[in-house]
Amino acid sequence: MARPFTTRRILAWAAMAVAGVTALGAGLYFGGFADRGNVTDLRGKEAGALFGVALPDAKGREQSIGQWKGKVLVVNFWATWCVPCREEMPEFVKAQQEFGPRGLQFVGIAIDEVAKVEAFAAELGLNYPVLIGGYGAIELSRTFGNRLGALPFTIIVDRAGRISHTQLGPIKDAQLKTIVSQLL
Amino acid sequence: MLNSPIPAILAGALAALAFCSSVAAAEPKLLEPERAFALSVQPIDEKSVEVRFVIASGYYLYREKMKFAVEPAVLASTPPLPPGAPKDDPFFGTVETYRDQFAVRLPLAGAGPGLKVTVKAESQGCADAGVCYPPQVQSVTVVLPAAGGRPGAPVAATPAKKSWFN
Repeated sequence: MARPFTTRRILAWAAMAVAGVTALGAGLYFGGFADRGNVTDLRGKEAGALFGVALPDAKGREQSIGQWKGKVLVVNFWATWCVPCREEMPEFVKAQQEFGPRGLQFVGIAIDEVAKVEAFAAELGLNYPVLIGGYGAIELSRTFGNRLGALPFTIIVDRAGRISHTQLGPIKDAQLKTIVSQLL
Repeated sequence: MLNSPIPAILAGALAALAFCSSVAAAEPKLLEPERAFALSVQPIDEKSVEVRFVIASGYYLYREKMKFAVEPAVLASTPPLPPGAPKDDPFFGTVETYRDQFAVRLPLAGAGPGLKVTVKAESQGCADAGVCYPPQVQSVTVVLPAAGGRPGAPVAATPAKKSWFN
């Protein structure tokens, strides 16, 4: 026999539904939708606009990022005034050495002065190209999802020219190896 | 109260989904720089204003990167920045940082009672979570008090958030 739809029962259902929806809402608000995090999720998108970028290197020669199409490309926006940026670069140097022959290519974009970049690059034994961008290069990184315009910001592009991963903040070595080994 | 287990299952499922979506955001949510480094300016008298930065927990500013400009008046002298906490930087040597909050008086020249003054403060800071923001310029306009008048209310560069949703 069906139980009667008393007011109490309806109110109890309603209260639970409200509680459930509030919990869901709170979870989504504090957890964030994919697009409300620190970076916009652009995975799978074509990186054509990135390949069209040309910036001078430390010697003043214009370099187009398009020259590295077909590589597993790790474009890292950084600066000498950004300590966490400097701290992750020794890892990048090692990864470039280890995986370069298999097609991994790091390219640094330094939001910085040439002299400081050269001094740091020498100290580090930098083994990958660094291009010099002004604060305009921060705006470039925004178009690739760097919503806060902060550093370090890294874009990883697969051999087919699609964005595989973007990240604001340092990339741990283990994470880098996992992403890169899947693409090489 | 209710015999059916369905409401309990439904509520439980929604709560579990809520919990999962909050832990799925593995990276800490970072603040916009003008919220991490909140500037306000208070007009003190006809020839000075006080700049205050309220710095969010887990963030810090570099003392050496603080720059100030005012218009239409000018700075009468270099603003006396308070000392910061020393931090050893492997590349640049010892630097000083500010956390929590700090204030600095800007002495003005060519100012006067009732003058509308725009203060531009440039700051550069980072989050302990491992990111640095490029130098930010924030701007606040205040009206200097009348001669012998009391300091005005502080004016925030970025109004406080009102909405629940960003």
